[in-house]
Amino acid sequence: MRWLFSFLVLALLGAVQALSSSGSRLLVVLEELAEKDKYSEFWDDLRGRSYTLSFESPKNDKLSIFKHGERAYDHLILFPPKTKGLGPSLTPKLLLEFLKKDGNVLLTLSADHPTPSAIVSLLLELDIHLPTDRNALVIDHFNYDTVSAGEKHDVLLVPAPKALRADVKNYFEVDGTIAVPRAVGQGLGNTTPHLAPILRAGSSAYSYNPKDEAEIVEDPFAVGEQLSLVSAMQARNSARFTVVGSVEMLQNEWFDAKIGAVGSKEQTTTANRAFAAKVSEWTFKETGVLKVGRLQHYLNEGKKNVNESAVGVPEHNPGIYRIKTDVSYTIEISEYTSTHLSPFVPPTADDVQLEFSMLSPFHRLSLTPLAQTANSTIFGTSFVLPDQHGIFNFRVNYKRPFLTSVDEKRQVTVRHFAHDEWPRSWNISAAWVWIGGIWVTVAGWIAFVALWLYSEGVEKGVKKTQ
Amino acid sequence: MATSPVDPLLKQLTGPNTRSLLRVIILLTIAAAAVSSRLFSVIRFESIIHEFDPWFNFRATKYLVQNGFYSFWDWFDDRTWHPLGRVTGGTLYPGLMVTSGIIYHVLRFLTFPVDIRNICVLLAPGFSGLTAFATYLLTNEMVTSPSAGLLAAAFMGITPGYISRSVAGSYDNEAIAIFLLVFTFFLWIKAVKLGSVFWGALTALFYGYMVSAWGGYVFITNLLPLHAFVLICMGRYSPRLYVSYTSWYALGTLASMQIPFVGFLPIRSSEHMSALGVFGLLQIVGFVEFVRNQLPSRQFQTLLRALVLVIFAVSFGGLVLLTVSGVIAPWTGRFYSLWDTGYAKIHIPIIASVSEHQPTAWPAFFFDLSMMIWLFPAGVYMCFRKLTDEQVFIVIYAVLASYFAGVMVRLMLTLTPIVCVASAIAFSQILDTYMSIDSPTPEVQANGTPASASVAAASAMLPDGLRSTRNPIVGIYSYTSKLTVVAASTVYLMLFVMHCTWVTSNAYSSPSVVLASRLPDGSQHIIDDYREAYYWLRQNTPENAKIMSWWDYGYQIGGMADRPTLVDNNTWNNTHIATVGKAMSSREEVSYPIMRQHEVDYVLVVFGGLLGYSGDDINKFLWMVRIAEGIWPDEVKERNFFTARGEYRVDDEATPTMKNSLMYKMSYYNYNALFPAGQAQDRVRNTRLPAEGPQLTTIEEAFTSENWIIRIYKVKDLDNFGRDHGSAVAFDKGNKKKRAHKRKGARTLRVE
Repeated sequence: MRWLFSFLVLALLGAVQALSSSGSRLLVVLEELAEKDKYSEFWDDLRGRSYTLSFESPKNDKLSIFKHGERAYDHLILFPPKTKGLGPSLTPKLLLEFLKKDGNVLLTLSADHPTPSAIVSLLLELDIHLPTDRNALVIDHFNYDTVSAGEKHDVLLVPAPKALRADVKNYFEVDGTIAVPRAVGQGLGNTTPHLAPILRAGSSAYSYNPKDEAEIVEDPFAVGEQLSLVSAMQARNSARFTVVGSVEMLQNEWFDAKIGAVGSKEQTTTANRAFAAKVSEWTFKETGVLKVGRLQHYLNEGKKNVNESAVGVPEHNPGIYRIKTDVSYTIEISEYTSTHLSPFVPPTADDVQLEFSMLSPFHRLSLTPLAQTANSTIFGTSFVLPDQHGIFNFRVNYKRPFLTSVDEKRQVTVRHFAHDEWPRSWNISAAWVWIGGIWVTVAGWIAFVALWLYSEGVEKGVKKTQ
Repeated sequence: MATSPVDPLLKQLTGPNTRSLLRVIILLTIAAAAVSSRLFSVIRFESIIHEFDPWFNFRATKYLVQNGFYSFWDWFDDRTWHPLGRVTGGTLYPGLMVTSGIIYHVLRFLTFPVDIRNICVLLAPGFSGLTAFATYLLTNEMVTSPSAGLLAAAFMGITPGYISRSVAGSYDNEAIAIFLLVFTFFLWIKAVKLGSVFWGALTALFYGYMVSAWGGYVFITNLLPLHAFVLICMGRYSPRLYVSYTSWYALGTLASMQIPFVGFLPIRSSEHMSALGVFGLLQIVGFVEFVRNQLPSRQFQTLLRALVLVIFAVSFGGLVLLTVSGVIAPWTGRFYSLWDTGYAKIHIPIIASVSEHQPTAWPAFFFDLSMMIWLFPAGVYMCFRKLTDEQVFIVIYAVLASYFAGVMVRLMLTLTPIVCVASAIAFSQILDTYMSIDSPTPEVQANGTPASASVAAASAMLPDGLRSTRNPIVGIYSYTSKLTVVAASTVYLMLFVMHCTWVTSNAYSSPSVVLASRLPDGSQHIIDDYREAYYWLRQNTPENAKIMSWWDYGYQIGGMADRPTLVDNNTWNNTHIATVGKAMSSREEVSYPIMRQHEVDYVLVVFGGLLGYSGDDINKFLWMVRIAEGIWPDEVKERNFFTARGEYRVDDEATPTMKNSLMYKMSYYNYNALFPAGQAQDRVRNTRLPAEGPQLTTIEEAFTSENWIIRIYKVKDLDNFGRDHGSAVAFDKGNKKKRAHKRKGARTLRVE
C-alpha cells in the first residue's frame, strides 16, 4: 500500500513540475493566432520553463477562464485586441475575479490600436491610468534608438531597472539596454500600495499622440519618470498583474535587435529577451514569492523550545500567557526562486518586523535572523509581554513591492496574575511591619483573654464566698 | 360520641407537638406552592435559561463545574469584551455559581446524574421555598401571634414582586440573594434580642454569603448600622446591641473582603462608611456607658454626651475630608441616581438605558404586591404601637425600602420581604381578633363578682333599658361581625392568590429568549428567532469570529452562540460600549475602520419591524447615540437623529444622519423586497418606509432569521485591489468609474 502511495506522490510531483510556484497552465489570449509566430522565442522561453501554453482567440465563444467556478488556467497573457474589447469571456469583472482567485495576468498594450475602453476601465480599477488620448505613445528625444526610430523617436532605450528603493529587492536586473518600441505609458496612482513601476521611462520622455499634428504639447498626460512603461500590481492576495506598455518588445525581432544609442556609434543587442523572461518570471510567481514555514511563540524559560518537530506538523503554540512574562517568537521565511526554496534575506535597509498588538501595537520589534536552514531563514526575537491583559496578536505584516505579502497573525490571550502567582507577603520586606502588627494583635488578644479569664475566676470565687 | 382526628385540633386541645407538626406541614406546603407557582415557564416552554444576565451566570457555572474552583477564581475570559477581555473571576459575585456548583457536586456524590442546566433553572424556585421559611422565622421574631409567621411565609412564597426575579430559569443573583437578605435580617434580630456573639457571628457568616452573591448587600451594610444608630438615638443602647453589632461588623467586614470583586471597598468606599461610623460610635457610647456606671454624676454625664457629639462631628468631618481628598472613593453614579432620579439620564446614560433602573410606575406596586399594598401601612403602624427594638427595625426597613422601590423598578425586590412581613402582622391581627371562637358567657359575669372596674364604670354610665348595655362586654363577640370580617378576609386572600397566579403566569413567566404568540385559532405559536440565529452563528462561523452587537445581547451570544463579543451586559467599560455605539450610529465609512480595528467579523442587529416586536435595536438606538455622544460629542450628535420638528422617524422624512447610520441600514437592508414596491411597512413604528432601501458596501448580509428579528451581517475584508468598498461595489454592479479628468491644483506626483 505504501509503495502505491509513494508512486502516486511521485506521479503528482511529476505532474506539477513547473517552475512557477502557482501552477503551469498558461493561457495566451491572442486575437489573430497567426500572429503568435512573431513571439515564438518568448513562447519557447516559457515552454522551456515548463509552462503548458494554450492559445485562444477572445472571439472564441467557448473560451472561459473558469471551469466549475474554479480557475481553468493559472496564468493569463493578454494581447491587445484590435477590436473594441476582449469579448464577453474576458470582461474586466471576470479578470478581477480571476485575480481574486489567485490567477496571474500579464497584460500587454500596444500603441498601434487604441486601447479598448474595457481595458482602460479595468486598469482604472487598479488605479493605473492610461493617457486620455487613446493613440498616445511615449516619446523621448534623448534616449531613442537611432537604428529604427531615428525620425520618430518612439523606440525608447531604457537602461535595466535598478532597485526601486534601498529597501526593495530588484528582480528585473538584466545586462544591457532594453528597447521599448511604441509604448503606451502608464501613470500609477499615488495612494495604493499595491502598485509599483517595473520599468520607468527616462526623465526626458513624455506622452504624445503622433497623429496629433500640434507642434507643442500642452499639458501632457505624464512626463519623465512618472511614465511607467512596465508596471506591476500585486493584489492583497498576492495575485500579480503586470502591464507591459509595449507588446512589440516581446517580439522576436526585438529580442535580438541591434540598437544604437543617441551620441554613440556602436550598436548593441537589446536585453529584451532577458527582461521579458524576468518580467514573466515575476508575474507568474517564479520569483519574489515568500513562504512562511514554522511559526513559533513560546514562554522563554531559559531553555530551548521543545517544539522542534518536522515542518507540516500543526502549530502547538500556547494560546495563553501571563502578563510580564518573557516570550520568544520565531518565524521561518523562505523565498522561492524558480526552482527551489532558499533562505529569505531581506534587503539591507529593511527589516521583518513583529507587532504585538491589541487595538494598537504594544511592541513593534525588528526580527533578527537567528539561523539559516537549507531553504529558510529563521527570524526571531524575545521580549517581555506588556503589563496589560487582553487578547493580543502576534503579527508579522511584511508587505513589500514585488514580494508576496506575509501577514501572519496569531491570537493569544494575555491573562492577569492568578491569585497564587503573587509574591507571598513575607517576601516583601515592606510588609513586615504589617505582618508584625497582625501577630502582635493576635498575641495581645490571647494575653488579654487569658488575663480576663484569670481575673474573672477570682471574682467568682469572691462572690461565692460572699 | 365518636371523636374524629380533627376534633382535638378544633377544640385546641392539641399539645405543642401536634402544633409544631402542623406548622411544619404548613411550611412545607407553602414551600411547595412557592416552587410550583414558579414553574409556569418550564411547563409552557422548556427548561431554559431566561433573559440576559442568567446566560452569563449559566456560562460561568458551567466553567466552574468543568474547571474547578481555583481556575474559576482566576478566570480570565477572553471571549467577552474583545479585545480587552475580562478578569471574570475577580469581577463577579461568585455566590450563585458556587452554590449551584456545590449542589451539582453533592448530587453527583449521591449518584444523581443531574444536568447542570437543570440545577441552574430550578435554583431560584428552590431558594424561594427557603425564602418563605426565612420570612416565617423573621416574622416570628416580630410578634407573638403564631399565625403571622405562617401568613408572611405564604405571602412571600407567592407574591409577584419576588416571583418576578425567581421564576424557573431566571438564574440571577437575586435568586439566592433574597433568601440570604431575609435570613441575615432574621439572624440580626435574633442577635440583637439575645445580645449573643454566636448569633452575631452567624449574621456575619450569612452576610458574607450575601456579599458573595449580590451587589445589593450594600442594603444590609447600611440598614443594620441605621438600625443600631436609631436605637442609640432613642436611648436604647444596651450591651446586647454592642455585642451583636461589633461581632457582626468585625467578622462581616472581614468576610466581605474575601470576595475579590469587593476587596477593599468596605474600608474605602463611601457606601460602607456608615457601618464603620456606627461601629466607632458604638465604641464611644459603650465607653461612655462604662464611665457613667463608674461615676454617677449628672453633670459629668451631660459633659460626656457633649463629648460624644463632638467626636461624632469630628469623625464625620474627617470622613467628608477623606472623601473630598479622594482617599475614600466618592459616591458612585448608581448611588447618586438613587437620590436624584434625573441624575442618570443626564450624566450616565448607560445606567439610565437599563429599563429596570427606571423609576417605578405606581400601578407596578399594586401589580407586584396586590392587597398587601394597603395592609403594609397597617402592619407598620402596629409596629409603632409597641416599638420594641426589632419593631424599630421593621419601621426603618419599611421606610427605606419603600423609598428605594419608588426610585428604581428593580428595588421592588428589596421592598417585597418587608411588605410581606408587615402585612402578615396586620392580617394576623385581624384574624386573631375575629377568629377566636370563645365568647364570654354573660351569666357568669352577671352572677359573679363585678368583672372589672372599666366594665363597672361603663355599666354605670349606660342606661339599663337596652339588653345589650345591661351586661356590656368589651370586645367583638358577635358572630355576625366575626363571620363578615373572616369571610371578607378569606375573599381577599383568595383574590390575592388569584392575582398572584395570574400575574406570574402572564407577566413573569416568559423566557424572553423564546417569544410566544397566539395564532388566530388560539393555539400557541413559538417565535424562536433568537436561538435560530445564535445556533446559526454557532454552526456557521469560525470559533473565534468576533460578533459585534449592542450590549444587551452580549451574554446571550456568549452563552448560546459561544462566540466572542465586543460588549456585553456587564457594563464595566463605558468607553468600549460607546465605541460600539459609535460604530452603530455612524456612517459606514466611519464604522468600518472601527470594526476592522476591533477585528469584528459579524454584526448582529435585532429588528422587530416585520413582526411588531418593539424591543428592537432601532428603539434602543437613541441610547447608543447618547452613550456614544458622551465620549465623542463632536462626532456623534443626538440632535442629528431627530427631524427639524424634533421627531424620531425612520420613514421618508428621517434625517440623513439617521438614514446613513449603520444601524438604520442594517435594520432595513433589503426589507423592501418583502413588500410590493413602495409598500414597505414598519409594524413597530407604524410607518411606511422609503421606497428606496438602504445600500450596504462594507458589510454584507449573512443571515436573517425566520421572522427577521435577528439579522447578521458579515464585515467584508479589505478590497483585494486596494479600492474603497464603495467603488468596489459600484464596479461589481457595472457602474463605470469616472475618470478623474479635472485635476484641481498641482498634479500629485508619484514618489517611490
